[in-house]
Amino acid sequence: MTPAAITAAPDHCRPSLILWAGIVLVGLHVLVGLLSLVWLPYDPTAMAGGRLEGPSLLHWIGTDRLGRDLLTHLMIGSRIALIVGLGAVAIGAALGVTLGLLAAFASKWLDDALAATLDILIAFPTLLIAMLVVAASDTANLWSAIIALGIALSAIVARLTRILAKRVLVMDYITAARTSGSSWPKIVAIHILPNIWPTLSVNFALQFGLAVIAEASLSYLGLGAPPPNASWGRILQEAQGTVYTAPLGAIAPGLALVSLAIGVNLLADGLRDTIDPTRRAR
Amino acid sequence: MSPQLRRNLLVAALLVGSALSPAAFAQEVNPDASIRIGSLYEPQNLDNTAGAGQGINEAFNGNVYEALFQLTDAGSVEPKLVDSYEASEDGLTYTFKLKDGVTFHSGEPLTAADVKYSIERVTAEASQSSRKRSLSTITGIETPDDQTVVITLSARSISLPYNLSYVWIVNDAATDITATEDGTGPYSLAEWRRGSALALERFDGYWGEAPSNGEVVYTYFTDATALNNALLTNAVDIITSVQSPDSLAQFAGNSSFTVTEGASTTKELLAYNDRVAPFDNVLVRKALARATDKARLLNSIWGDYGTLIGSFVPPTDPWYVDLTGVDAYDVESAKALLAEAGYPDGFEFTLDTPDYDPHPIVAQFLQTEYAKIGVTVNINIITANEWYTKIYQEKNFEATLQEHVNHRDIVFYGNPDFYWGYNNPEVVQLVADAEAASSEDEQTEKLRQANEIIAEDAASNWLYLYPQIVVSAANVTGYPVNGLNSQFFAYDIEKSE
Repeated sequence: MTPAAITAAPDHCRPSLILWAGIVLVGLHVLVGLLSLVWLPYDPTAMAGGRLEGPSLLHWIGTDRLGRDLLTHLMIGSRIALIVGLGAVAIGAALGVTLGLLAAFASKWLDDALAATLDILIAFPTLLIAMLVVAASDTANLWSAIIALGIALSAIVARLTRILAKRVLVMDYITAARTSGSSWPKIVAIHILPNIWPTLSVNFALQFGLAVIAEASLSYLGLGAPPPNASWGRILQEAQGTVYTAPLGAIAPGLALVSLAIGVNLLADGLRDTIDPTRRAR
Repeated sequence: MSPQLRRNLLVAALLVGSALSPAAFAQEVNPDASIRIGSLYEPQNLDNTAGAGQGINEAFNGNVYEALFQLTDAGSVEPKLVDSYEASEDGLTYTFKLKDGVTFHSGEPLTAADVKYSIERVTAEASQSSRKRSLSTITGIETPDDQTVVITLSARSISLPYNLSYVWIVNDAATDITATEDGTGPYSLAEWRRGSALALERFDGYWGEAPSNGEVVYTYFTDATALNNALLTNAVDIITSVQSPDSLAQFAGNSSFTVTEGASTTKELLAYNDRVAPFDNVLVRKALARATDKARLLNSIWGDYGTLIGSFVPPTDPWYVDLTGVDAYDVESAKALLAEAGYPDGFEFTLDTPDYDPHPIVAQFLQTEYAKIGVTVNINIITANEWYTKIYQEKNFEATLQEHVNHRDIVFYGNPDFYWGYNNPEVVQLVADAEAASSEDEQTEKLRQANEIIAEDAASNWLYLYPQIVVSAANVTGYPVNGLNSQFFAYDIEKSE
């Protein structure tokens, strides 16, 4: 083995190790979320145990104040977190990419106006925008949370798309495509999207993590999906007053939230290292 | 955190607490001690007729301001600034003689004109006092001399002395009492730091017995956990009301602290809008009452604390009767009643739920319970402000959860315009007759009847009575334990150090 190969080895394993850790953590939540669709230990509303029971064979992580099984609620929480994450990113991506491309192609005046608007939107914290959107809708539910977060995330996606697209637009091959008479939709589909996709997809993964945490915060504040939908944020909120007598009730949803958020971030990191040619070449 | 680590941290916290605690040295009562009271209810301003919230009653009632009468912690109404009084034969004229030698904190003597001014402050157009309506029978206030006040009424009002216990006597020359004070109480305001604390100091010119301590500092917290930690770390001496049985676990069985359970008047309610279908149907209301396992609910929320009630009346009100047997828990008969009411397959309703504990968890309990009889509950979480506008003012709701803290508030069921819209002419009449009664026995009898009718009508679903728990450091004694109407008299509190 040459010295070069030895020093290069850690660099080669680093991306894959991070990527794998991310895949395992996120995959675990996906599996649990899918499992919750077909099987749950208990009916989520059933008050099957006593008040604040500790872990036992019947209730693996104990019960809440109403005697409901915590594991059941955490499993549903996984599903809700994934739905909210995916939904918010889908809305944020659809809105953001469209807006970003529009700005990139627009006249200087419109581009400047759009860019300034996006900068203003980004200046507001994601959670604050989401809270405003939820407050504006009549009743809080799962969809209002997803839409609110999607809108909040779209500004970040739009700005990134605009910058990436502009970078591609000045390339010689775009000029060549334009002179040869390609239509704008064709240029976007063939030249721009494939070029900016790797960076965007990494960003989507990061946004997914943000959305999951933001949904938990909304639920914690009572602005998320109403009961009986179990969200980690609400489980945390309900366990707050009993944290001294039954700490697991707060620790378990906290760990679930952290593991998904870390998993998604590792996944994004790993993806970037794998996809980004400038990093791969190192 | 592992249970072991948690225990270690707790022990460490307690050790720090007891090391700093003067109790560890077993000393004598300090007549100039500073009593530090931890509370969650910071007043918005210093005027109880200007929407200041319950915190101002806690800090000022009986401490800074006094009234003609006082509602004692034991629940009786006793003369305070009144030396003697008499009512005319027809009950329409009351003559009050004021105590001699009473002075305001500004040094001015108490006169009949101050009393007239103070009552008119509460009944004034702009007043936001919750007791304004109960003083509406007052038609005239005369002051024949400096020590005499004559009040004339449009109708008999047996609770006049009780209602006057809410009327602070304020110096008629005082200005800007939303930010300062001029009362006759044993303490005067030393300092108010908005957002954190309110300090009272002993008033040396007090007409009555001097307080057993030198000063009282109310420290305000926005979070119950922070409040508990403040007591654990000796940053406060007393917590006026504990919010959950789980926070008590830190204090119960620990000799550094005293836990006292007093009599409570705080009722947790599932209030229907009795104007709208299906809640206008008494059978539906009775069915929901029978479908609620209240014993289980109380245990879920409060563990071994709290009391079950069968109506809106707590055991401390004179017209209390045990009505827990009316519409007791019985799922089968609940189903039968629903079928009889024309809802054999149940129905669906929206439950507007305030976003603070314990309402959301109570709402989920009810959702599960009512699913068993085919009734679907949609939980809609709202803020306290939304509750006030949407439900209390606009009456735009189907059902809601709320805690009602007042003492002697069954009279709300005699008001068809109240937010829950319960309208039974018989109860309206009984409540009016009780007020016009010529003796307390007669008043009690009428309200007892009204109490039984609202229970039979299942006017609302009275879920449970909160416990009233005060926790203090072991070296502090003499504080009120019942806290009726949020009052917290501080003048008898003694601290050894």
